[in-house]
Order: sequence, then structure tokens, then C-alpha cells
Amino acid sequence: MTAPLVAFEDAAVTFGKLRALDDVTLHLPRGAITGLVGESGSGKTTLCRTLLGLTPLSSGEVLFDGMPVRTHLARGARAFRRRVQMLLQDAVASLSPRMRIGSALEEPLRIHRLPLEEGRERLIGILRRLGLPEDIRGKYPHQISGGQARRVGVARALLMRPEMIVADEPTAGLDVSVQGELLNLLLDLQRELGLTYLLVSHNLNVVRRITDRTAVMYLGQVVEDAPTRELFHRPAHPYTAALLSTNPAVQAARRRARIVLQGEIPSMLAPPSGCRFHPRCPVAQPNCAIDPPALAEVEPGRSVRCHYPFSLPLPA
Amino acid sequence: MAEPLVSIRGLTLEAATRRGVARILSGVDLDIGRGRILGIVGESGSGKSSLANCLLRLLPTNVTRIAGQVDFAGADLLALGEPAMAEMRGTRIAMIFQDPMTALNPLFTIGTHLVDVIRRRQPGLPGAQALEKAEAMLRHVAIPDPRARLAAYPHELSGGMRQRVMIAMALLAGPELLLADEPTTALDATVEAQIVALLEALRSEVAGSIVFISHHLGLVAQLCDDLCVMYGGTVVETGPVTKVLARPHHPYTRALLACEIEADDEGRLVSIPGEVPDPVFPPPGCVFAPRCPHAEAICHAEVPPLRAAGAGRTAACHLFERLP
Repeated sequence: MTAPLVAFEDAAVTFGKLRALDDVTLHLPRGAITGLVGESGSGKTTLCRTLLGLTPLSSGEVLFDGMPVRTHLARGARAFRRRVQMLLQDAVASLSPRMRIGSALEEPLRIHRLPLEEGRERLIGILRRLGLPEDIRGKYPHQISGGQARRVGVARALLMRPEMIVADEPTAGLDVSVQGELLNLLLDLQRELGLTYLLVSHNLNVVRRITDRTAVMYLGQVVEDAPTRELFHRPAHPYTAALLSTNPAVQAARRRARIVLQGEIPSMLAPPSGCRFHPRCPVAQPNCAIDPPALAEVEPGRSVRCHYPFSLPLPA
Repeated sequence: MAEPLVSIRGLTLEAATRRGVARILSGVDLDIGRGRILGIVGESGSGKSSLANCLLRLLPTNVTRIAGQVDFAGADLLALGEPAMAEMRGTRIAMIFQDPMTALNPLFTIGTHLVDVIRRRQPGLPGAQALEKAEAMLRHVAIPDPRARLAAYPHELSGGMRQRVMIAMALLAGPELLLADEPTTALDATVEAQIVALLEALRSEVAGSIVFISHHLGLVAQLCDDLCVMYGGTVVETGPVTKVLARPHHPYTRALLACEIEADDEGRLVSIPGEVPDPVFPPPGCVFAPRCPHAEAICHAEVPPLRAAGAGRTAACHLFERLP
């Protein structure tokens, strides 16, 4: 396997007593789509922020293309930010209502001090590629549809010719009738431009369908990191199994029994001893309350943070 | 279907907006069977929440017109005076909202909320007994340490616990009709699974009918008996949930199902081309015609009536018998 584009190595972020990210090791392969799933407060957003250099690490390292993100930032924050672009969740809210679409799209060119003429040509090419009319540049956000606003967000991210796109919940709040169009677009662009994606989503169907690898987070830690197909087919961590089982299928023939966990996600301020999942784990053993498991490779390309991997199968 | 609990006919709701009069609901016909769980699905703006709000007659002030009949156990809810309607709310018809924080009063304890509901039914019940009843109900909806929770304020509980309190309040009211508007949408997946399991376990205790509104087709398929699909302020299809999902009649239901991502699916993702109709300028004929792959001349000219489409099923489509 070639060197990953992004490597989190024992990354940790603490805010006072709160360990928002703890001992995270995760590699994002070049040109692949990695999905990041987990419930609120599991650390997904903090992980994205450390990659973008928006939240500094307390310890450990995030490497981008073999070099720490902090070194990239020290050498030239703009150059680094061109290489990693963010796709925001609410495309309409991320456009200023007082700015014409054209100005909003040209703003990155000005910030990065790129020649406007060349940038405009590039922009027209991107608009055409995304199926947006050229005259959209003269319109205000309220004059365009929601679908167009989402494509404008994608256009703005692509303008800098990034190598990597971090997409935080790109389909959240979208009706199912329009999410397919956006996901197809993201997939096409990835293939055409060789982009690397980190896709944060709570929608397991979306993650299953479009990602190559999936990482599952729980209370600030990565608990499982595996090829998507294998993770969904045969989850190794009991939390992954429970999470997957909560996703009801529409057709009765595909419906599984649910694993209903006891209790709620504990507070990040007082995480449980031993394995952080043990108070809710249906297959916990006595040592799980004492010894914290390490993220360990259970199969080639597949890591799990559990003393007893594969002990909670997905129900039939 | 035996005599339904609720029978809605020609329900039309219009509201004033800056751009003109918006048609929120146009001629909705729907029956809610006794003791059944009816799932209402539809995209944003399809009118599913407005329909529930009509049943409680909790409508925003910009509503300019409400017409039709909503027959609830023999009474027309739209014709009732406000005092009689107020008497219905929280006793015979109860609602669970998406965000329990907006439905619970931040200044009152959980105990006060529950005792208020109990007192509406049994005004003379002594305080100690009412509190005991409240505690028993909290235990019943699996809230740990229920006695201590009675003294807690809403902000001291997690989202999942607050939703359990809402369910406890609804059960104490013992309504004939329980409306649940996206009750699990704001919750995390594992907590959502807990609430759904709780609703499944409790369904036998609700003597009346439940309306479960959701944009999550999988959840509706799992929990409900009957299905109502809404689009653009109209009901486009109804019927037993397994039958409708196994073989939908209406092109919109079909399109919506095709957009669902299921296990083992491959190839391009599916979406419905076009945009949802503008409620201020709805299309003249079938509201789905502009996006429908099967639409013919009649579809653009005449509004299709909701008509019988097999056992216990209806569909609002001119062409459904002829569709491939």
C-alpha cells in the first residue's frame, strides 16, 4: 500500500479536563473515500478540525502528505489550505445573502491572491462541469435553488484544486430525493480528479454506499477502522455491531433484529475506566472494566479497539 | 377498514406569505384506523406536520383559510369551539414533538409536568398519590432512578430522557389519538433505537391510534401498520405499510423508494429530478406531474382524485393501473 495522504498518529486533543480526542491513530489512503461515523460528542468534528489545522493537537501528530500539519501551517497556511478544502453541511447558510454567487466564488481567489483572470476561466470550467449556468454568478443566494446552492459549495471547494476534501455531514438535512444527486457528483469528482475524501456522516446507508473505508468513533476514540464492505458485513467491535443494527431497512426481507444498548453515552468529562464502551457493552467481560484495549490489527487493513473482537455478531 | 377513529375529508389549509397565498394542504382525505399505527412520510414541505397540527388545531397565525372536515370519534374538530378544542388537547388527543425541550417548561420540574397531566384526568387526587403515579410511569418508560428525576428540571436530562418524559406524559393522558412528530429525529442512533424499542413495547398500552410522522422510511416500515405518503400538500398513496412498500402504486412513492439506499445496492445513486412544487404557485394538475416520468396530458390538466387501489389501499394517480 502506498503512503497514506493523511495519518493521525496517537493524536489527542484536550480542552481542560475534557479529552475530546484520545489516542487516535487513523490513516486516510490517497484517492480513497474514508467515512467517519459515530454519535454526537464522539470526536468526529474535532478530528476534522485537527486535520484542517483549526484545532491544535495536545499530543501526537497529524501528518498530511508525510509532513505534520503544524509544519505545513508554519511554512505557509494558505498553501496548505488550498490543498485541503472543507465542504460545509448547510450550503445555503454558508453563502452570504448579500453577496452575489460570483463574488462568493471569487473570494477564495482573492484570499489566495490568485490571478483573477485565470481563476475566472477555471471557475467557468467548474460551473460547466457541475451543470450550473454561467449567469448564476450574477444571482443572490435567495434566487437559486437548494440543489444549486449545494453545487456552488462544491464549486467553491474545487476552485483551489484541492487534493483532499473534508465533508462534514454533506447530506444532513437533505431529503432523500436529492441526496443521490449530490453523492453522485462527489463520487464522479473523486474519480475524475483523484481526490481523497474524509466524509463525516451519521447516515450509515450513505457511508456504506460511497466509502472505501469506514472508521467508527466512540467517546473520542477510534474503535474500529476497516474496509467498508467488511465492516458492514461483519463488524468486529460490539459498538459497531449495535450501531449497524439500529439502521432499519425499508423492505421487510432485509430487516434485522436490533441490538438495543443499555444506558446513554457517558460524559466525556468522566469517561469509564478500562474500555470506554464496557458499561453499555452486551458482551463485556470483567477485565473490560479494568484494562483499556488498544487499537490493534485483527485482520490485514483492519483495526479494532476491543479485547474480544467479533464476539457480538450482527443479528440475522 | 372498520369505522375509523379519525376521518379527514377535503382538508385544505392556506396561509399568507410575503409572496402570496400558499396552499399548505389541498384537499387531504385520510382515515386513521382504531388501534392502528399510521406512518406519515413525505419530504420537507409535503404538509405532514401541518396535517398533525390541524388535528390539534394548533396553527400559526398566518393561516388564512382552513376548510374540510376532520371527524374525530363523531365530532368535527374544525367546527368545535375553542374551549371544547382546548378540552381535547392533552386528554383525548396528545402529541409528542421532535424537540422535547420546546414542549417542556424549563421552569417546572419533571414531577410538576407529570402531575399536571394526572390532575387533568383526576382533579381531586392528593399530591402524594399523584407523585407516586408519576414515579411509577417514569419507571415504566425505563427512566433510571425515577424518584430523583421527579425533582429534576428539563435541562438536567439528556435528549433521550426528555423524550421518555414526553412519552410518559402522553401515556398518563391516555389519549385516543397520539400524534408523534419526528419523535426520534433529534436523537443519536443508539438512543433512537432505545426509544423505538420503547414505543414498540408500549404500543399495546395505547388503546387508541398513533400517528407517527417521519422522513425515515425504514423506521416507519418497522413500526407502523399503515402508511400515508404525502407530497406537495396532498396525500398521494395510503395502505397497509408492507403492501405499499412491496408494490407501490403511485409514481412518487416508487421514486421515493428508489432513492432509499439499501444494503447490496450498487451503481449510480438515484434521485428525483426537479424541485418540489411551489406552494404559492402549485401546478394545475397532479402535483407530482412536473417530476413524474410517466406523466401524460391529463396529468398536467386535472387533479387526480385519491381513489381505491386494491384492498385497503388508495392512490391519487390517473394512470396507476396502466403503469409498468
